[in-house]
Amino acid sequence: MAQRQRPRCSLLDSLGEEIVRIVTPVSICMLLVVILVSVLNSSSSSSTSVTTIATIAYSETDSDSSWDKFVGALLNSLVFVAVVTVVTFVLVLLFYLRCTKFLKFYMGFSAFIVLGFMGGQVSLFLIQDYSIPIDCITFFLALFNFAVVGVLAVFMSKMAIFVTQGYLVVIGMLVAYWFTMLPEWTTWVMLVAMALYDLAAVLLPVGPLRLLVELAISRDEDIPALVYEARPVTDHDSGVSSGNQRRVWRERSGSAALNEPENSTDEPNPNPGRVSVSNVETELSAPLIEHRMNMDSQETRGEDDAPGENLALEGIGLGSTGAIKLGLGDFIFYSVLVGRAAMYDFMTVYACYLAIIAGLGVTLVLLAFYRRALPALPVSILLGVLFYVLTRFVLEIFIVQLSSNLLMF
Amino acid sequence: MEASQSPTVDRQIRNPESNANSIASVGPLWPTVDGPLGLSEADAVTYARRFYKFGFALLPWLWAVNCFYFWPVLRHRRSFPQIRRYVLGSAIGLTAFTILLCSWALTFAIGGESLFGTSWNQLVMYNLADKWGLTGWD
Repeated sequence: MAQRQRPRCSLLDSLGEEIVRIVTPVSICMLLVVILVSVLNSSSSSSTSVTTIATIAYSETDSDSSWDKFVGALLNSLVFVAVVTVVTFVLVLLFYLRCTKFLKFYMGFSAFIVLGFMGGQVSLFLIQDYSIPIDCITFFLALFNFAVVGVLAVFMSKMAIFVTQGYLVVIGMLVAYWFTMLPEWTTWVMLVAMALYDLAAVLLPVGPLRLLVELAISRDEDIPALVYEARPVTDHDSGVSSGNQRRVWRERSGSAALNEPENSTDEPNPNPGRVSVSNVETELSAPLIEHRMNMDSQETRGEDDAPGENLALEGIGLGSTGAIKLGLGDFIFYSVLVGRAAMYDFMTVYACYLAIIAGLGVTLVLLAFYRRALPALPVSILLGVLFYVLTRFVLEIFIVQLSSNLLMF
Repeated sequence: MEASQSPTVDRQIRNPESNANSIASVGPLWPTVDGPLGLSEADAVTYARRFYKFGFALLPWLWAVNCFYFWPVLRHRRSFPQIRRYVLGSAIGLTAFTILLCSWALTFAIGGESLFGTSWNQLVMYNLADKWGLTGWD
């Protein structure tokens, strides 16, 4: 038996490395959204209400009572979840009818809309707020470059990993920033509703995401969706094979490489990781991971008449090389939560960030334990909302009193 | 673990290009910056050529991504001659385009109204955004 000279990578190292590789982009996305929210909202009062599908049932005004706001937000969220469910079922149907090209094209188109229009709007906000003397030629050229290369990164499966990951994070950030413009009660109730929907859609046998994943596995195909895949950790000492050995969940007779084309609509479609299979290693077949797919439908701006359909895939799973995959929808909703917390104070941001990362850790542990696609939203969102409420109504008073009386902090 | 290994596994066990320099005159094994996770050499030529040609559609950023993706090809002078042509072309195009664009943008920003007159206000982005109502959410 070959001896190891030195233990290069213990299990703890590789496990920690993998967790870090998924927590880092989530944290970066959240940080960018918090920065955007605090930079752009401090300069202008965000009283502009966005008319979108999420506010179609009720648009919040400052003069309503809390109960009215809550009921209105509940109606909004129900409408939103209903639209998302319908769109997810449409996606399942299209995937069942093998319209993969259409789905891929739709994804690329959505990525272009998000990067081009929403990215353009956010940069225009920044330019206006800081009076940056950029001219229109340079601006449009830069935006065009950014959007086109983003579509290529999302579209093509073999682009530089770093570029693809970076663009997915940027898409998540833009959509999350857009979501933070919804009214407050609607945002919070919608987050909880999406967490519950996620739980149902992935775990129930009739859930659309579960259907989609099972369909993809039975056909050995990729689900066209936006999924963030972390770089796999290679164990240098024993080569790639031992790294895969830990990840084998299911042996497949044939090797099927699943690519994930990203599918995005006006809103980025988060794509939960697909299960990818086998690679060059002949002796090991790749593990399969199922991801849930969530379809979010988001409304577009009023001036843009096209209905925004987002294929949001949420969920967490493992890729073919054993890397962890996380759907872009998870990025988006985590960042929306933290962005909303940032609109109140930074104390809530810290509390919610810790809650979300803890929830993500719990989800990863459950992933390793159950070895199937899992919803990544419920634990984190519910913990995040709980911590936000506790911090805002309980902790803040406590800390402010202590600080102002110079007792602590 | 001692079982027969395919040649690709053998290659992957050897450290990719970061340690390849220690092996004299071998050069990098993988043309892309992703190493064993990236493209094979045959695919890499197709991709490099495609990126290079698409970059002519006013896409210097695509050229930059091309140079980043095939960084090992740029770094080691003797490796992958077919790919190197396109990547070098991308690098030259990127530099030229960036110099042009930066000089124009800086002239516009620094010169301001004193250099351009009233047309500066017609060209600057925040005025145009207001005029066309680009940032109104409604």
